[in-house]
Amino acid sequence: MAGSSSQDGGAGSSRSNVPQYEEETLEKHTQVFHVGSFGALWREMLRPQDLSLQQAASEEDGDDAVAEEFSCPPDIVSELRDVCSIGALKSRSKEDTEEIPEGTNLVTLTIRKKALERREETHVIDRACRQETFVYEMESHAVGKRPKDPINLVKEGELLLTLNIFYPVIFQKHKICKPYQTMLVLGSQNLTEVRDSISCVSDLQIGGEFSSHPDQAPEHISKDLYKSAFFYFEGIFYNDVRYQECRDLSRTIIEWAESRDRGYANLQAAKMEDYTFNNLNIKVGFPYLYCHQGDCEHIVIITDIRLIHRDDCLDRSLYPLLTKKHWIWTKKCFVCKMYTARWVTNDDSLAPQDPSFFCDVCFQMLHYDADGNKLGEFLAYPYVDPGIFN
Amino acid sequence: MDGWPGLKTDCEALLSAFQEADSVRFEDFASLWRQRRFHTIFYGKIRALEQNKFTKEALELVWPYFLPPYTFQIRVGALYLLYGLYNVQLCQPKQKIRVALKDWPEVLNFQQELLNAQHYDAAYIFRKLRMDKAFYFTAMPKLLSFRAKKVERDKAEIKKEFKDPSDRVAMLATDDVLEELANVHKHYQKMKCLISADKSHPDKALDLIKDDFIVSFKNMILEHQQRKQDKLEPSLTSASEEARNENEGSSQDAEGTERAKTLASIKAKSYSMVAQVSKSRRHRQVTLESSVPRSEHGVTKSPKAKGTSTRSQPVRKKVSLRNRETSQAVKKEGVVASLSMPVIAEDDNEEEEDEDEEIDHSSDEDFIPVKRKRTI
Repeated sequence: MAGSSSQDGGAGSSRSNVPQYEEETLEKHTQVFHVGSFGALWREMLRPQDLSLQQAASEEDGDDAVAEEFSCPPDIVSELRDVCSIGALKSRSKEDTEEIPEGTNLVTLTIRKKALERREETHVIDRACRQETFVYEMESHAVGKRPKDPINLVKEGELLLTLNIFYPVIFQKHKICKPYQTMLVLGSQNLTEVRDSISCVSDLQIGGEFSSHPDQAPEHISKDLYKSAFFYFEGIFYNDVRYQECRDLSRTIIEWAESRDRGYANLQAAKMEDYTFNNLNIKVGFPYLYCHQGDCEHIVIITDIRLIHRDDCLDRSLYPLLTKKHWIWTKKCFVCKMYTARWVTNDDSLAPQDPSFFCDVCFQMLHYDADGNKLGEFLAYPYVDPGIFN
Repeated sequence: MDGWPGLKTDCEALLSAFQEADSVRFEDFASLWRQRRFHTIFYGKIRALEQNKFTKEALELVWPYFLPPYTFQIRVGALYLLYGLYNVQLCQPKQKIRVALKDWPEVLNFQQELLNAQHYDAAYIFRKLRMDKAFYFTAMPKLLSFRAKKVERDKAEIKKEFKDPSDRVAMLATDDVLEELANVHKHYQKMKCLISADKSHPDKALDLIKDDFIVSFKNMILEHQQRKQDKLEPSLTSASEEARNENEGSSQDAEGTERAKTLASIKAKSYSMVAQVSKSRRHRQVTLESSVPRSEHGVTKSPKAKGTSTRSQPVRKKVSLRNRETSQAVKKEGVVASLSMPVIAEDDNEEEEDEDEEIDHSSDEDFIPVKRKRTI
């Protein structure tokens, strides 16, 4: 294990792969460490049964095992089992978990009680709202799933990373709370797998003005036309060069950095498809970058790395697994106010606003006669709503 | 994070009651738990999403009490508390306890300590948690996201009563005491000189104390501190290094010199600085008498150098942010220039349409007047 870490760590191999805070007082992010070696260190320290993903069949291992481990007589163990049973902490009778018991002396409960009373006064209906249900569903939809095909079972001791991928900041209102999606990725997964599963509207754009022949809007979305992209982690650009058309987007940046002494020595480029997350050197909690479509930039933060647990989703094919996404308000058609906009017009002589948004049907009915001839003056563009991933 | 203000109070109250009981037995803990009906902490119309959050928070909050610098008893209490919270929680599946890699050796040491002291109940409970897969083996104790709220929590608010007086020797021989001692010694020497025949040396008859007494005393203290530190941090790297060294055979030498070096550097540091003289002693200034070769002074500078190298990070961030702004500006220009893209201005009125900010309304948070998120 030590060998692999020094090989990957290169010159700075003296540093440790045990994550520590970079600045203890701030607790913002860790120092750089090598993901794979970190996992190896954990596996080294744990026993096989700690890593096991088997469902607890009868975990009640015999008193003998405990006695052996503790080197104490077996009769003590059976006594321990009684004394330490969790029953000692629960109430004997069945209780209503919705009710806060009377006369509690716990501060948490007193506060909660007040909050509940206030909620009763102010809220008309007390139930989970749509958003809350949605978030909970997202979070837990894959929890504990196991694959039908055992080949897809996640291996024991596999690392699980949590990635927050921020949307490029577009709106003023997101100045404070930037929207992001959260994704779970396995350490053995390739960077390209994450790249392919990041959904962003700028991949779906269709360029061009089509007011004179709206039916001929090309099928090709930006994703098919411009396939270049890169991730940036710790001084290395991981470029997507899987396709012939891919360009090295990082080159400009590296050349820019090198052209003068800008304080970014040693920026490097690598191939995205050659790297899994286990191969990376990263800081947990530190903002990195995903860039595609030339300049659509998403901040990427790895918020957590841990070993896989038997209660996690164990179906490999479901990863990268989306566990949270931002609910974006969709733009509705200005005419029917019902469907999501598919077209946007500028300088529209038929519409009161500039720009105006329309769904397919309304757009056709307003701007063209029965024979499909254009009415009035306007510029029309296909529109992809950022909310379509809701 | 501070969504549940009472939680910390409740946990600490239980822990200090346990401390007062002067016991590490689980039975005693359980009776205190029952007396408070602590399991009801999860009660009261909490919906699933919030229940998850609350449980996570509770486990995260209690976990640090299980680690140093808390006293043995508090750590045992925290272990029982974790065991209780983990098992009575209402989440399905259960929320797990996060253990960071850097803390794990400490945890294993503790388990060994429990066994050595034959506190079988505590050891059994830890073993049970481990068998029940109650732990997530993680990189860090918390999830880290860079922009996370400003660190306003008073960091060092470790409850003093819970804390283990870590170093009793250090308590006796503080910097002040050493300084005082040095001063007294100097003064004493001077007085002896004054009353002696030869003014530069004290009389033989008066020379009852070794002249380097203070220095050697300091050395002993330093050595003790160093050894203690080494013992406290049997860090993973050094452990694995040791293992490797043992294979190679050249082990002890390398390690020995390394330790000597660190010791020397600490000494050099302490001697290169003249102790600040307390106000009442201003008339007895201490001057620097170096017994260490000059060349070694350089060693002490290393920590400072480290400081500057880490500072380069924020700068990088700022610049990349600027990049981003300019690139966006460029993008906008592009939109205006080429006619094949639509012009869509940003809506300002979208503010009130946005409902997603409100998603994590939870009952307890309702009550707290402090705004989250928006307050930055």
